[in-house]
Amino acid sequence: MQKFVIYIVLFIFGISYGQNYSTSSFTNPFAQNQFVPNISLIGDFSYVNRNIKDSTYKSLGISGFVHEIFHSHSGHEHAPINAERGFNFNYGELAITSTVDPYFDLVGIFHLTEHDFAIEELYFTTRSLPYNLQLKGGKFLSSIGRINQQHQHYWDFVDIPLVYKVLFGDEGLNEKGVQLTWIAPTSFYLLLGIEVLQGENELSFGYEVVEENGNTIFDKASKPNLYTAIVKSSYDIGNLTLLGGLSYLTGKARFNHLDDEEEPHAFGGDSNIYGIDLTVKYFLDAYRYISVQGEYFYRDLDGKVYKNSNFSNLNKKQGGFYIQTVYRFSQRWRTGFRYDLLNKNEINGQNKPDDLDRYSFMIEFTPSEFSRIRFQYNYDRSKFLEDERKKINEFIVEFNLVIGAHGAHAF
Amino acid sequence: MRVLSILFLILGIILTAKAKINVVTTYPYIKSIVKEIAKDKVNISSLSDGKWDPHFVPERPSLAVKLRNADLLIINGAQLEIGWLPPLLKRANNRKILPGKAGFLDLSTLFELIQKPTTVSRAFGDVHPQGNPHFCLDPVKIPKMAEAIKEKLCILNPKNCSFYQENLKNFEKSWNKHLAKWNEKMKKLQGSSAFEYHRMFDYFFLRYKINVAGILEPFPGIPPTTSHLLELLKLAKSHKISFIAYAVYNPKDPVEFLSKKTGIKAFLLPHDVNSLPQVKDIYSLFDEIVRRLTE
Ligand SMILES: [Zn+2]
Repeated sequence: MQKFVIYIVLFIFGISYGQNYSTSSFTNPFAQNQFVPNISLIGDFSYVNRNIKDSTYKSLGISGFVHEIFHSHSGHEHAPINAERGFNFNYGELAITSTVDPYFDLVGIFHLTEHDFAIEELYFTTRSLPYNLQLKGGKFLSSIGRINQQHQHYWDFVDIPLVYKVLFGDEGLNEKGVQLTWIAPTSFYLLLGIEVLQGENELSFGYEVVEENGNTIFDKASKPNLYTAIVKSSYDIGNLTLLGGLSYLTGKARFNHLDDEEEPHAFGGDSNIYGIDLTVKYFLDAYRYISVQGEYFYRDLDGKVYKNSNFSNLNKKQGGFYIQTVYRFSQRWRTGFRYDLLNKNEINGQNKPDDLDRYSFMIEFTPSEFSRIRFQYNYDRSKFLEDERKKINEFIVEFNLVIGAHGAHAF
Repeated sequence: MRVLSILFLILGIILTAKAKINVVTTYPYIKSIVKEIAKDKVNISSLSDGKWDPHFVPERPSLAVKLRNADLLIINGAQLEIGWLPPLLKRANNRKILPGKAGFLDLSTLFELIQKPTTVSRAFGDVHPQGNPHFCLDPVKIPKMAEAIKEKLCILNPKNCSFYQENLKNFEKSWNKHLAKWNEKMKKLQGSSAFEYHRMFDYFFLRYKINVAGILEPFPGIPPTTSHLLELLKLAKSHKISFIAYAVYNPKDPVEFLSKKTGIKAFLLPHDVNSLPQVKDIYSLFDEIVRRLTE
């Protein structure tokens, strides 16, 4: 009996000894804490004051370009940021990035809205291709233009330039595909790139077959559908940096608006877009700089419109630009002015409004490099309700904060 | 035949151009040390200019071009470059100089860093989680960096190894001579107290037993606030502060305000080669710091 008790006691001690041992000096040989990728979370919130009711604002269009700025396609309504008067939760951006192995890096950018989780970007880039080549593949923001591949929180103004909004939508050109870039062995910066993309942009590109009552109206375009070519070059003169770029995009366009209540119609044709951008940045000292940046895009959309069981030719030649200047006048303060203009709006040879413009002013304070408070004022003359131009006065206060390991941004 | 000879000529030019390896350094001080070891046997360029804030060197595409052509990249490390170098490296698509490759050297791995935080939180500003990365301002550490650079050069360019070895020996000799001179001059500041703008000169002060009594930045990377300056003012009344040290890229106003209110001299100290016109190399970097503090 005594022996038995001792055994039990030993047994319990043995167990508890073992447990002590395991908590104090046992280290998990398979722990992978060292391999946690870089994780960061960005929160973007705003307060908006606008001289137009939300309900009116949501049914505004941009004449000749977009018939409703909130128009929903393929079931999901993607409201632009700062959509409501008063408080807006614009988005949360979760970024998870890491090196995969000696050959690849993986970048994941997840866009969180109040009720939605969307994969904004998830792509790999190669680390060790020869001849300074880099291949990128997955879902990503195209490198066309200057700001297309930048995320919203890196823009100098709260909202996307008008010309981007009307040609690519509120998130820019975001596609599935591959990209190959090469830095030429020149003494100045010269980057050449090509992209092969699926081509699913709801404003400029599409491949889906258009059918009505089982009849094919526009046949399916081949997939992938969108090809782009990019040239970027940069040159330094003392404290001045010049950066210029050219972009070309070509693909098929298929727009199916046959389910619209008003004027159901569909479009099938080709879309070609040409872009040019230039940035000049002058560094006054370690923190202060003045920059001037502008981009121009021109689109030639050519094909047929199907409406009321009839086909008719449609040719849209449209273009626009923005030009902005930003002055960082101290380590924590920046101010800027932007002018947006859609100056070409020709549909079947006829001129639609071509003075669609917007004036923006911003001033921002960055308490640290991880937080920013921005005030922006917009005077917007680009929006129409039916055929009546609505002049919009808009005042936005934006809070943008980041936690975690968020990598530095490329120029 | 003529075509062939021209082809060979071109090939020859390419090969001789290739014969010199391209060394890129993140900061000018590293470039200066490489110069002492390699002389004209390699092409050297620095990404940052001494006048910039080393934590945030302005992003310029031309820097990616330098990296594109590099055979060796030498960085300060300890996350001093984290705010600007990674996207450039990614853009340059140069597999030879990625961390872990033969063409990559991180000088911070040579040293035990001071002020390594036990807990890391951004509530304390933009902290350096691996410790204070401004170790290059300790003159005693320079020869060790030179030796590591020599070893790297010997691996990448073995045919000039004995030349590098010779230069290293001469450099060490000459450096120790200078060091003795600086040590002598700095003796009179031993035990004194100073303010500094950022924890930039701590390794130098530690070497010469100068006590850092206060930092103008309330938190790393955050410019001085009035309330924080008033605290320093109070501190200056109860303690004897000999000088305020700041770097060329630090805003002058708060330094001048504090200096005027307290009567403490403010010294603009070079933090890197090329930060001031007279600081042309690694020797004059310390010559100038010592001269400004002791004259
Ligand atoms: Zn620092």
